Amino acid sequence: MAIKPTPPQSSTSPHPLTFPAHTFAKLAPKTYLNTHLNSAHGPVRPSGRSPTQTRTPTCHTGSLTHAHGSAVVRCGDTAVVCGVRGEILGAEDVPDYKAKTAEEIEEDDEHEMKYADTWERKLRKQKESSEEMARLGLLVPNLELATGCSPTHLPGGPPSTLAQTLSQRILTLLHTSNLLDMKDLRIWSRWPRSGSSSGSHVEEISQQDEPAQDSVKAFWVLYIDILFISLDGNPFDAAWLAVLDALKNTRLPSAWWDRDREMVLCSDVPREAQQLTVYGMPVPLSFGVFESDEEARGKRWVLADMDGFEEGLCRETVTVVVGEGEKVVRIEKEGGVGVGGKDVRGLVELAGQRRTEWLEVSGKEAS
Amino acid sequence: MDRRRVNGPPGGTAPPVYLPPGRTAAAPGRTRGPNEIRKIFLKTGLTPSAAGSAYLELETPSINHSNSLLDRTPALKLTCTVHGPRPLPRSSPFSPRLLLSTRVKFAPFAARQRRGYIPDSGERDLAAHLETALRGILIGGRWPKSGVDVIVTVLEGEEDCPRDALATGNQNGRTGGWGMMSILSGCITVASAALTDAGIDCVDIVTGGIAAIVRQPAAPAQLVLDPCPPDHEEIIAACVIGYLQSRDEVTETWAKGNITALSDGKGTTKMGFDTLIDHAVEAAMAARRVLVEALKEGTEAKIQNSQAKPPGRAMGT
Repeated sequence: MAIKPTPPQSSTSPHPLTFPAHTFAKLAPKTYLNTHLNSAHGPVRPSGRSPTQTRTPTCHTGSLTHAHGSAVVRCGDTAVVCGVRGEILGAEDVPDYKAKTAEEIEEDDEHEMKYADTWERKLRKQKESSEEMARLGLLVPNLELATGCSPTHLPGGPPSTLAQTLSQRILTLLHTSNLLDMKDLRIWSRWPRSGSSSGSHVEEISQQDEPAQDSVKAFWVLYIDILFISLDGNPFDAAWLAVLDALKNTRLPSAWWDRDREMVLCSDVPREAQQLTVYGMPVPLSFGVFESDEEARGKRWVLADMDGFEEGLCRETVTVVVGEGEKVVRIEKEGGVGVGGKDVRGLVELAGQRRTEWLEVSGKEAS
Repeated sequence: MDRRRVNGPPGGTAPPVYLPPGRTAAAPGRTRGPNEIRKIFLKTGLTPSAAGSAYLELETPSINHSNSLLDRTPALKLTCTVHGPRPLPRSSPFSPRLLLSTRVKFAPFAARQRRGYIPDSGERDLAAHLETALRGILIGGRWPKSGVDVIVTVLEGEEDCPRDALATGNQNGRTGGWGMMSILSGCITVASAALTDAGIDCVDIVTGGIAAIVRQPAAPAQLVLDPCPPDHEEIIAACVIGYLQSRDEVTETWAKGNITALSDGKGTTKMGFDTLIDHAVEAAMAARRVLVEALKEGTEAKIQNSQAKPPGRAMGT
């Protein structure tokens, strides 16, 4: 790296050595960020944002041909592609799987009716759904950083620790946020109800004598592959938003069990394909806590939606995931004690604003 | 089993099987002229964290709005990043020249069948071809003891078989890897754009071109530029080259198929290897026009950015 001191601007006073800003940022990153945050015009980050200001996300869905659902999300200089692809898991391939018949599932529903509170009932139902998904392993998210998205993540070798951590965090959030409904992922032994009146091949099947009992024959397994095109901080938020939009965009072909061939067949008619139900739309917002060493009093700033430069300087991070009605879905915090209970309240509020912003962006794309 | 990734259910899963096979509409075939290549979208600077980057996409065929999920034809989509030149690790031996390493990786959703994360032989093969195409254009002596990484990610690949064969699953033994040849041609162009974006000195910009001898049923063989494999019933031979126009040099050739003794029906010209190369060169020259435009645009955007954003106030220490 060649460092060329810029010529002093004023010749009157002996000017100390000066560097252009980007050189300074490389030589003394901490001082650089500290000076910005302590500026006379109020705290401002090197990117020009205020500490709580986030980068506006953009999204684009359905651009991949071979995926059942896909999304490209860009937040500043971080860009992610997510593709969702459904594959079929036969019920006989699940060890110790006790097939539930339609009656049994309906019975369960009746049992549920006993709960007076509808909201509680709904929650219980969703939770059971997620538990079954986790038990069967129907959601398979994998995050890939080794695409040359940044100089620190080059391909060759196994996935980095960061990539593994992020994949696991996404898997956990998929399960704990009760995002999807099990009913969308079951494949029954009968022809799907919704598509019973279309296509010539349908009659052929309905002419067969009615199956004695309706049972779950197979499941859809969703392979959720997340590829980073470009990485400049805050990979988790961008990856999750891409997953969320790709799942919303996913249309699984209608599928049924063919008794003669003893296999699951799918219809290739696009309008029979079923959209996934996505509940709650939980949206995360990550923060970093920057502490300056110089002041012993321990002045600290909480920076929302960090970029790559800031990420290198913040040890403590907080991720708040907010769902419907500003309910906190998940809080992850690590690396320090800078943010207390009171501060978290403010962060939750910011995450709520982020969610509103995202719903607007993603709604615009969908319409 | 890879324990460092999230694996699917231990029982294994199967890709969906569609019914009814063979219901798809007849392939419309090629709608372009034989000397016309598909429109190329090329843009540099998509990955600001890398030294250089580029994105390439080929024109999407209009058939995607048809009434079957199987009829959708993909459009080639590639991203490329370049990292370097940067110092080699201390442990590596002295090199007087810039060391080039190339990688090509397919995304799991790049093909009709889901692809794994472990590199396979096809990817390594493409990377080796790409390396030969690029090695010759770098002025490597300017960076001793350094290395540069060129990484291409295939977001969406090209298919190998005719459209109706895809729908029935009956590939007629046609697994020839013709799609791989189109992908290589795209890889060469996109990597050249990313290398230029990274500011690495090259003797010229290299572009990929592909030509093929194809035959529709009950028609004589024909020479076409930039073949889209699903459009053609039979591909007899194909050839990809990496071509430097201003020096009239070829850095890479990959030809495949039965090239000998074919006439175009009139019985006058033979479609030999030389003719095939000449046509591939033509395709590369057409791609070069797009590349030059993209590089101009990219450079203009860079200049505008640096003017709009003065590099901050200088801070004294």
